[in-house]
Amino acid sequence: MSSTTTESGFARARRGVAPGGSGTAHGNRKSKLSAQATRTFFWLLLPSVVLLVLIHGYPLIYAAIQATHDGDLLQTGNFVGGQNFATVLTSPAFWKAAQFTLWFTIVGVFGSWLVGLGLALLLRTRIPAGGTFKVLLLLPWVVPIVVSSTAWNWLVATPDSLIPSLFRNLGMGTPLFLADPSLASITVMVFKVWVSFPFMMMMISAALASVDTTVYEAASMDGASRWQQFTQITLPLIARSTYISWILMTIFCVNDFPTIYLLTGGGPVNATTSLVVLAYRTVFQDFATGPGVAIAFLMTMTLVVISVILYRQIRKSSVE
Amino acid sequence: MSAVLHAHPESGPTLGIDAGKRRKVLSEAGERGRWWRFAAILIITGIVLVPIMVTVLLAFTPGPNSTATGLTFENLSNVFSKTFAATWLKNSLVTTLSTVVVSVAVAAPAGYVLSRGRSKAVSGYSLLLFVMQSLPIITSVVPLFILFAGMGLVDNLLGLTIIYVGSTMTVATWMMAAYFDSIPISLEEASWIDGCSVFGSFTKVVLRNSLPGVLSTAIFAFLLAWNDYLVAIVFLRSNEIFTLPMGVQSFFQQNATDWTSVMALAVVMMLPPVIVFATLNKYFSVGGIGGSLAGR
Repeated sequence: MSSTTTESGFARARRGVAPGGSGTAHGNRKSKLSAQATRTFFWLLLPSVVLLVLIHGYPLIYAAIQATHDGDLLQTGNFVGGQNFATVLTSPAFWKAAQFTLWFTIVGVFGSWLVGLGLALLLRTRIPAGGTFKVLLLLPWVVPIVVSSTAWNWLVATPDSLIPSLFRNLGMGTPLFLADPSLASITVMVFKVWVSFPFMMMMISAALASVDTTVYEAASMDGASRWQQFTQITLPLIARSTYISWILMTIFCVNDFPTIYLLTGGGPVNATTSLVVLAYRTVFQDFATGPGVAIAFLMTMTLVVISVILYRQIRKSSVE
Repeated sequence: MSAVLHAHPESGPTLGIDAGKRRKVLSEAGERGRWWRFAAILIITGIVLVPIMVTVLLAFTPGPNSTATGLTFENLSNVFSKTFAATWLKNSLVTTLSTVVVSVAVAAPAGYVLSRGRSKAVSGYSLLLFVMQSLPIITSVVPLFILFAGMGLVDNLLGLTIIYVGSTMTVATWMMAAYFDSIPISLEEASWIDGCSVFGSFTKVVLRNSLPGVLSTAIFAFLLAWNDYLVAIVFLRSNEIFTLPMGVQSFFQQNATDWTSVMALAVVMMLPPVIVFATLNKYFSVGGIGGSLAGR
């Protein structure tokens, strides 16, 4: 495993001297302790492994079986090979959902990153009551989606809701935020950015907090402009956090269900149906278990590959 | 990142002699800039919080059939007396708190092994946890639905709790491991020399010093279980087994026009996470796995 070989010397020192580790001192005693450690480690890990197998492993295997059978929620049905996958991959609905998921993810990741970065930079300077603002701005991330989607619905859903009325009174027409297909897509994405920017803000703030501000003073002495300071100092310093937060937000966006489902239900005319929403509806509303699980399975496979690659990248980046 | 921090002290002395003068000029400009930034952040925060303010305001606004004026607690008392709200609240609390306790109890020992173990099996398990947390819950929900249906665990709070523990434990383990990484191994070594077993040093030395780590893991599990909607919508069927998210939704669909009651229940649902966040916000880790990935 690359993670063990690419570990930095510091990390090694930090966790290297584990009881199971090879050492020089007191040989006999050490090996006794080492055997004991291995046994203890086994028991400490066991509950976690059992749960992982039950809640993640078993369903994954079962899902693979379901995806290749024509059963329903009660029975497995007959083996149909790749037929479900063929059905899914040739259906326009799948590709439309894949396309929406892609856009939703791109806007969700970079939109929330930009907003989060801007606010983190603003909050980093000395501002009266800065700490209070920091806490208040995390609320969209803390408040349950069920609650915030209800509030957003109240604000935009019908032509007489607060925000469409506001537009009307300003003479800008009456936008149908959730009824017009393209406007609904935008609304869902804006909602996702609203929910997610605090996460980005936290990640970037944490990274910025570990930077000594005198670096900037030194840079401005050397005549570096604000922009140069931003691109030459700030961005490299938050690069690792940024990278990790992009990865995680990508996963959060692809897997997101409530943000979309609770605001639009996937409509109007499937304009905001993501892959997860499509899989959910296929299984629990159309009762087509095979194709539904096949959609989920295709997503799973893609995410496994992506996350293994990204995990290695993160581990590598921690050396730098 | 650490490279920069280490490099910095050497660059310190190069600051010019006129640094003091310059700083004064900067601080005057900074003083004016401060209030501009204050105004900017005030406006942004105001706009961002509109949905939350609307929720709270509507919850205390008299409903369509009410005779009350001004702000009122009528909606709240109506919601509790005329619907299953109290049951939903209890269901949510029971499920969430059980999830928190079991999740931490499973994740802490596993996180310890992840932090201290160096074998390939351990790092492989760490990768496995990372992959599992990144998979869509919908994939496991369908097979689990079938499995649980056979065991009578559908429409059942125990079934819900088991799935919540399963889906929080991956990230929880990572978070615990990241925290244990920060505890110096020398503490345990000292206890081993005193004849303490590995397990003994884990519980007596490491866990005892890990309250902040345990708290942030607990907060993470709390938020995930409390806020979940997908698992609840699949597994819960009857009104009296609903958790709050399902309650709010059912209410919302049936009484779409009665916004004040919906918002009253929404405020009930939003309160516990906000309270947890307000009181324990220093333990509020950077969104669960984010903090532990950045930290490890």
